[in-house]
Amino acid sequence: MSLVSVVKRAVEYVAERFPVEKLNYHAMVEKKEVPVHRLSWGYYLGGAALFFLCVQIVTGLMLLFYYQPTVSDAHASVEFISEHVHGGALIRNMHAWGSSMMIACVIAHLLTAFAMKAFEKPREITWVTGVGLLFLTFGFGFTGYLLPWHQIAVNATKIGLQSIEQVGQYLPGQMAQWPRAIRETIQGEATVGQATLSRFYAIHVIVLPFALAGLLGIHLLAVQLHGMSRGVDEPARRREKFFPIFIIKDFSVWGVAFFVLFVLALCLPFESFYSYPLFEAYDPNGSTPDGIKPEWYFYFVYYPLELLPFGVILVASGLAAVLLLLAPWIFRGTSRKTLRILAFAGAAYFLGMTLFGERIYHFFKGGAP
Amino acid sequence: MNRLLGFRARADGSARRAPFAFAALGVAFFAFAPAARAYPEFQAQIAKGAGRPVNCALCHANPDGPDGASYGQIGRLNPEEMERLNRARKAIEPGAEVNSPILNEFGNELVRSLGMRRLLELKLNPAALPDAIDPKSDMDRDGIPDAEELRDATHPLKKEDGRPWRLFTHNVRKNLWTIFLAAVATAAGLYGLAQLLQGFARAARAAHGEEDSSDRE
Repeated sequence: MSLVSVVKRAVEYVAERFPVEKLNYHAMVEKKEVPVHRLSWGYYLGGAALFFLCVQIVTGLMLLFYYQPTVSDAHASVEFISEHVHGGALIRNMHAWGSSMMIACVIAHLLTAFAMKAFEKPREITWVTGVGLLFLTFGFGFTGYLLPWHQIAVNATKIGLQSIEQVGQYLPGQMAQWPRAIRETIQGEATVGQATLSRFYAIHVIVLPFALAGLLGIHLLAVQLHGMSRGVDEPARRREKFFPIFIIKDFSVWGVAFFVLFVLALCLPFESFYSYPLFEAYDPNGSTPDGIKPEWYFYFVYYPLELLPFGVILVASGLAAVLLLLAPWIFRGTSRKTLRILAFAGAAYFLGMTLFGERIYHFFKGGAP
Repeated sequence: MNRLLGFRARADGSARRAPFAFAALGVAFFAFAPAARAYPEFQAQIAKGAGRPVNCALCHANPDGPDGASYGQIGRLNPEEMERLNRARKAIEPGAEVNSPILNEFGNELVRSLGMRRLLELKLNPAALPDAIDPKSDMDRDGIPDAEELRDATHPLKKEDGRPWRLFTHNVRKNLWTIFLAAVATAAGLYGLAQLLQGFARAARAAHGEEDSSDRE
């Protein structure tokens, strides 16, 4: 195969995935329709995730005005925001609740898109960028968790970074040193300290947002060019206009999401779900409080890690990541019914580990839950 | 222990002061200071009762308690702070002016309202501490009385720390008007946006129809 034909095929492949000739008023507004069926609710999850991203950007910018990314001042600045800045507690709580809701929406969006076989040709790139966005969202969660510099933040980050280094023992030859190098690069010094905080801060507010903007741009462009996938095997009951009907419904979901988020942020401090010693300023010379664990959206990896050998989890995580990224090709011939069962099993595992992970852990390891 | 401190328990749970009580308390405070300063019995009981970890910061200025040389610990106190600490140690009866630098506001209030003698009695029955304090006292104004916060192992001075459902219901009641306004604003905003989008759609259809008709002409 000559280079010219390779390039030609690549151009054809991209052109089929990004039919930019559809970028006109007639195709994008007048003609565009959305199928209505029993899984139509899944079409609104991506929009909800986008809404929570907007909330995170706005509230994150507001927090930036006061937050100090130094180990001596980070915790104090966060307390200052909560205690002394007008509306600061509400904004900070919106940021905390918003991050959880965004991750919940992104995971639900991924599972429903999988169940609806929304990765079918020509939507492969939409899917792959979506999986990339999921990983970026987890990256936001991991890096943002450290910024308040309280006990649970620093200690959970230490555990997370140690896990990276542990990968080395399963790699051959020189590759065994790579995870240590990655950890040291992220950490920036011998232990989690000022260099780590500075790097996590830069990654959280600069690197990840730029990466997200790029991937999200491609994802949204592909979604708009191809429209909604058919979602179910049987013909849709009816179709509705994308503009204005679907857009109005989508904004209505945004409105409800905003109201729920506002009430939660106003009335239910995110920290109330944890014991207070976990939110005290990190003291390297002080004792480590009980109950250190990552945010709830990492429980699906955290509890299995506590129960099973690291190597098993490493292989399982690697396989899951490959399955997710290559889903459009691996599940090309799989029926939607089978995909729905797989998505349901995935959701059951995630919910089970999130809600009952601690009980499962104590069931196998003993001790009071 | 009661005997050692010079108290004899009565049937109703209170204690009668023996003649050598003050002398014994003095010995307890100053000769065996490290044992008498910290109150791990309360911490252990509160954590056990609620199944939730707590640390010394519930009553103390430092999360690791008063012993040491860090902030809020005895090793770092200046003479003026030592004097305040000693005054607090001598607050045997309730009502004394207490402002100990090793205690937080709640810890000082405990000593002020109960007195050191009652606190030392309670050390023998730490589960009774929540019942001993004013049931209406709510120092962080989060809607959960301090006594309940102790039973739940949540912090009486942190308004964001409390049983989630109790906090939620209290804050909903407190912010009902704000929530109502937010609901009205959201609904009005959505209604306006929907009207605007439908108006755009109608205008686009009309303009397109006019174009079509002019084309036909």
